[in-house]
Amino acid sequence: MTDVSTTKRSLDPAVNAMLDLAKEKQIDTVWDRYDAMLPQCGFGDTGLCCRHCLQGPCRIDPLGNGPKTGICGATADVMVARGLDRAIAAGTAAHSGHARHLAHTLLKMAEGKANDYRITDEAKLKSVAIRMGIAVDGRAAMDVAADLARAALADFHEKDTPVMWAATVVTKKRVALLSRLGLVPKGIDHEVSEIMHRTLYGVDADPVNLLLAGLRCGVADLAGCYMGTDLADILFGTPKPVQSAANLGTLKKDWVNIALHGHNPVLSDLLVTTAMKRQDLAKTKGAQGFNLVGICCTGNEVMSRHGIPACTHSVSQETAILTGAVDMMVVDYQCIMPSIATVAQCTGTPVLTTMDICKISGTDHMAFTEEQALAHAEEILKRAADRFEKRKGKSVTIPAVKTPVMAGFSTEAIVGALLKVDARDPLKPVVDNIKAGNIRGICLYAGCNNVKVQQDKNFVAMAKKMLKENVLILATGCGAGALMRHGFMDPAKVDELCGDGLKAVLTAIGQANGLNGPLPPVLHMGSCVDNSRAVALAVAVADYLGVDTDALPVVASAAEAVSEKAVSIGAYAVAAGLPTHVGVMLPVLGGPLVASVLTDKVKDLTGGYFIVDLDPESAADKLIAAIDQRRKGLGL
Amino acid sequence: MGNSLSHLIIGAGAAGMAAATAIREGDPDAAVRMLSEEDVRPYFRPMIPFIISGKKTPSQVSLAGVGPYADAGIDIRINTRAVKTDPAEKTVTTSNGEVLVYDRLLVATGSSPYIPPDIGGTDMEGVYALRTLAQAQHAAERASWAKSAVMLGGGLLNLKAAFALLEKKIAVTLVVKSPEILSQLMEPRDAAMIRTALMESGLRIITGRGASKIVGGNRGVCAVFLDDGTELAGDMVFIGKGVRPNTAFLSSTGLDVKKGVPVNVHTETAIPGIFAAGDTAVTFDPVTGESIVTGLWTNAVEMGRCAGKNMAGIKSAYTGTFGVMNATQVAGLPFVSMGIVHPDKNACEVHTASSSDSYLKLVFSQEGDRLLGLVMIGRIEKAGLYRYIIRERRDISPLKDKIIRQRLHAGDLAFGRH
Amino acid sequence: MNQVKEIFIIQDRCMGCHTCELSCAVVHSRSGNLYEAMAEHPRPVPRIYVEALSSGKPVPLVCRHCADAPCMHACIAGAIRKTPEQTIVTDPDKCIGCWTCVMVCPYGMVGRHPEEQKAYRCDRCPAIGEPACVSSCPTRALVYRSVDDYSKNRRQTAARELSSGEGG
Repeated sequence: MTDVSTTKRSLDPAVNAMLDLAKEKQIDTVWDRYDAMLPQCGFGDTGLCCRHCLQGPCRIDPLGNGPKTGICGATADVMVARGLDRAIAAGTAAHSGHARHLAHTLLKMAEGKANDYRITDEAKLKSVAIRMGIAVDGRAAMDVAADLARAALADFHEKDTPVMWAATVVTKKRVALLSRLGLVPKGIDHEVSEIMHRTLYGVDADPVNLLLAGLRCGVADLAGCYMGTDLADILFGTPKPVQSAANLGTLKKDWVNIALHGHNPVLSDLLVTTAMKRQDLAKTKGAQGFNLVGICCTGNEVMSRHGIPACTHSVSQETAILTGAVDMMVVDYQCIMPSIATVAQCTGTPVLTTMDICKISGTDHMAFTEEQALAHAEEILKRAADRFEKRKGKSVTIPAVKTPVMAGFSTEAIVGALLKVDARDPLKPVVDNIKAGNIRGICLYAGCNNVKVQQDKNFVAMAKKMLKENVLILATGCGAGALMRHGFMDPAKVDELCGDGLKAVLTAIGQANGLNGPLPPVLHMGSCVDNSRAVALAVAVADYLGVDTDALPVVASAAEAVSEKAVSIGAYAVAAGLPTHVGVMLPVLGGPLVASVLTDKVKDLTGGYFIVDLDPESAADKLIAAIDQRRKGLGL
Repeated sequence: MGNSLSHLIIGAGAAGMAAATAIREGDPDAAVRMLSEEDVRPYFRPMIPFIISGKKTPSQVSLAGVGPYADAGIDIRINTRAVKTDPAEKTVTTSNGEVLVYDRLLVATGSSPYIPPDIGGTDMEGVYALRTLAQAQHAAERASWAKSAVMLGGGLLNLKAAFALLEKKIAVTLVVKSPEILSQLMEPRDAAMIRTALMESGLRIITGRGASKIVGGNRGVCAVFLDDGTELAGDMVFIGKGVRPNTAFLSSTGLDVKKGVPVNVHTETAIPGIFAAGDTAVTFDPVTGESIVTGLWTNAVEMGRCAGKNMAGIKSAYTGTFGVMNATQVAGLPFVSMGIVHPDKNACEVHTASSSDSYLKLVFSQEGDRLLGLVMIGRIEKAGLYRYIIRERRDISPLKDKIIRQRLHAGDLAFGRH
Repeated sequence: MNQVKEIFIIQDRCMGCHTCELSCAVVHSRSGNLYEAMAEHPRPVPRIYVEALSSGKPVPLVCRHCADAPCMHACIAGAIRKTPEQTIVTDPDKCIGCWTCVMVCPYGMVGRHPEEQKAYRCDRCPAIGEPACVSSCPTRALVYRSVDDYSKNRRQTAARELSSGEGG
C-alpha cells in the first residue's frame, strides 16, 4: 500500500517505506513540514529579504511593483550579495569549527591531556607538517603534532602569514591569481568576522565588492575543510578502500543499533573503536553485539576509516528513528534536524546530544570532553545496551534494502591504487586516460538532499548520464550518501553504469590492485570537509600537467544542496576555477547583477562560475559541455 | 407573474439600457419596449472615437448582451422617435404614427450637442458635433483622406476625437475659448501637465480664441476663421461645446422641461408612472446640493438602473452625481476629476502636490473635515474610494494626512478603528 | 447563491509579509513561477494589496466582487461582466483603459496596469480552485469560504467590515 505522494518524496524505496509507516502512525516528517510551509516566501526565495538592522525587515519586490530598495537604500543586488556573503561566512564558520575541534583534540593529545587519542597516520602528520613548514626531522611525532595543532589554530586569526591551509593547498598559479585578486584569506575567523562587519547596516554597498569578499571567505572555507581532513586523517587514519553497505537495511533487529549522526569523527571514531572492543556490553543485555551505523557525514567519516555502514542520509535522517530499531542516536553537530527529538519521542528512541554548541530540547545531553573520551564512549555504549534490553522482542520495521559499498577513496588511496598501475609515475595513467578520452573529465558530487527535490533524484539522474559519458565521478557528503544508496559505489555496477572508456579505466586499476574486478563506478572521498580531497586530487593533476585548476576538465555539483556549508563549498569551488552546478535555487536571483556575476562574469576572474539549473538532465549536459570546453582548451 | 407591468423606455442609450436591464433583473416577466431614433442597435456611445480611429468596428461597440446589459426579452425598436406623450391615456405616439400604451414610462432621450449659433457654416459637410455612431462612421470615411482638422472646444469628447485623428496622421488644432483646455474639469493650473503631454503628442492648442466662421468648397469644410482673423486649414471640424437635454417631445405633458426633466429621489417625474434618467433628467449634486443636468455616462447608468428598479417595483433611491466626474486617459496620461474642482478659495481648503509624473489637487471644506473634490493626474489609483468619501460627506479628519499623501485605502474605512 | 465562495480577511492574523501579493502576481504571470515572472513583460502585478492601517497594522485588501458591482455598470466599453460563479471579471481585450472603473470602485480595488494600460482585478483564480493569495498566506489571514460556511461570528465581523464600505 504505497502512497503515491510518499513515493514522490524519495527515490529511495527504504525511505518511502518508512514514510508510509510515518503516515500510518501520523508522525510528521520533513516532507510534511515542507508541505505545510508551501508556498514559500518569494522575497526570501529571491534573496530580497533583509533583517540586518532594526529598521527592517525590508523586502524588495522581485517583480518591481513595490519598493525597489531597502529602507537604508540598499539595492536588490546589495541585499542578495549581503545575504550570500553571510551564508558563505556561516558555512565557513561551520567547516572551520569542525577543523578547530580537531586541532584542539590534536593539541590536547600532544600535550598529554587527551590520552584516548593517538597519532594513527604518522606519515600524514609528517607530510602535512612539511607542507606547513614545520620541522620534522629527528623530532618526536608528538612534538610535531603539537606544532601542527598550534599552526592550525594560528590560521584562524590574522598573523604575518596568510591562511597557510589555503596558501599551500592550491597550485602556485592559483596562489598568484588569488593574491592578485585579493582573495587570499588573512585568517579563517578574520574572514568570517569581516563578512559580518561588511554586511552590517551601512557598510559595504557595492555588490561586486561584497561578492569578492564572499569568494575570499570561500577560500578560507577551503582552508577549514582541508585542515579538517588533514587533522582527522592524522588522528584517525587516512581512508583506504573498504567494504561497507548502505541504507536502512544495515540496521539489525537483534543488535544494539547506534546511529552516529552529525559530522565530526572526534567522538564517533572512538565510539566505533570502543564498540569493537566492548561487544560484551551488548551481549550481556541479550544482543548479538553493537551495530554502529552512520548518518550524514559522521557516517561518512566512520565508513571511510572503518567500513561502518551508512544507515541513511540528510533529508531522510528521521526515517532511521522511524524504524524503531535504533537504540540510540548519538549526534555531534551540523545537519541535525531538531525534529529528530519529536520523532524520537514518538518511537521512544533516545537521542543523545554531545556537543555544547548543539543541544536539542527534548533530548538527553552528555557534555563530551576529549579528556574523558573513552569513559564517555563506554557510557554511551552502556546506555544504548540498556535501551536495547527494553526494546528487545518488540517489533521493529527495518526495510530490507541494503546496497554494497566500496568506500575510502582518499587522495592518498587513489594515488596508492594508481601506484599499482605505474609505480614510478602514478598520475600518468589518469592523465593518459584523460588525454585518450577514456576519462572525459571529472565531476565531484557534494552536498545534501534538499526536501524541494525528490530525494536523490538529481544525483542519480546526473551521475547516470555522466558515467555513460565517461566522466569519472567523485562524491562526498550526502551526495556520496545518495549515490551509495542507489548502488553507485558497488563495483558490480560498473558494467551497467559506466561508459566503455571509464569502465576500462576502473577495471584496469581494480585489477592492478588485486580486487578481482573494477573500482566502483563512483569513488567515495569522504565527508563534506573532505571535498578538500577532491581539490587535492585536482591540484595534483594540474601540477602534473603544468596548468592551473581552472584549465582542467573538472566540474562540481551540489545537486540537492541545503546547508550554508554547501554555499561556502560552492564559493571555493568557483574560486578554484571550477564550473559548479547547484541544483536548487540560490537566494540571489533577485539581484540581477549578482546573478550574472556568479553565473558568468566571475569566469573572467577565477575561471570558475556557478551553473544554477534545477533540471538534472540539462544540468548534466551543461557540466559535460563545460568539461568538453576545457578539454578543448587543453588541446584534447 | 401575471400582473407584470408593461414598460416603455424612450431612448436606448446608457440610461435606457441600464433601466431595461434593471427591469429585467427585477421582473423577469415584464414587457420591456424601447424606442431608439437611431438606425442601429444600442451601442457604447463613449466608444465612438474608436470608430474614427478604426480601433473598433461598429459591431465591437454594440451594447445589448455585453457586460451587464440584458439582451433577451427586450424589444428594441430602432428608427423610431417618440413624438408625443399623453400621460392621461398612458400612451406615446411614435414617428411611425403608432400609439404605444405603457404602465411605466422612462424618458431616457439623452441630449444633443450644443451648436453655438454665432459660428457661421456649422451645417457644412465635414463639420461634426459628434454624438452618434453614424456620425462617427461618416467622420471615419472623411478621415481617410483629410489632412487637417480643427477641434472647437477643449472638453474630453474633443480630446478623444483629436487623438483618434492624430492616430490617422491628421494635423489637429484644438481651439479653446477658455484660457485653458478641460476648463469644465479643472482649473488652468491643474491642466498644465495634461497640456504639455497633449502638445508632446503632436496636438496644436490655441487657447483664448473662438471660431467665427467655418468655410468650405465642393468637398465640404476646408478652413476655420478664428475671432482674431486667423485662418486654420481644416478638412474636418469638430464642435465640442457641451450638450443640451432632449425634451421637446414632452411639451404636451405639462412638465416644465426647459432645463431637463425634473425628478424626485426615485427618479420619478411629477407625473406618477413617468420616470426620467440620464442626460435628459435633472439630478442633484450631493456635494453642492444643487440641481444639475449632466452628460455623464456613469450618471446615466446609475440613474437608469435606479429608475429601472423603481419601475420594476423595487424601491430605490438615487444618491445623485457630481456635476464633475470624469476619468480618462489622453496622451498616455490618466486623470480623474470629480466633485468641486473650481473651488472658491475663500470657502475651501485646497491642497496640491505635483511630481514629474503626477499631480494632485484636493479640495476640502472650509473647516477641512470634508473632502469636496479632487483632480488626480498620472496617479489615479483608488480614485473611487475618494469618490465614496466625497459623496458620503464623511468626516475625514482622522484620515486627512493619508488622503493628502494619497495613501488612503479601503482598510482605513473598514478597519480604521483597529 | 450563498454557496458562492468569497475571500474573507481576518485582519488580526495578517503579519504584513506581502506573500499574498507576490503569489497573486506570479499566478497571474505568463510562466506561473516567480523565477521566470521576474523577467516577464508586461510585468506581473498583484491584485491584492497589503496596506497599513493608521495603527501600523497591516491589512490585505482585495476586490469584493460586489453583487451590484459599480465598476461593471460604469464601464463604458462593456468590458466587465459577472460570471455564473458571481465573479466580476474584466476582459482585457475589451478594456480601453478609460479608468471609469477605477473612478467608481468604492474600495479602490481596480488596478491600472502601467505597461498594458488595462484595468485588472482579482479573479479569484478560477483555474486553481483556491485563490493563490489564500493558499499562500502563511498565517491563514485569508480564507476562501461561502458566506454560509463561514462561522456566524465571522459573518457578523465581515458584515460589519463590509457595511462600512459601499457596493455589496
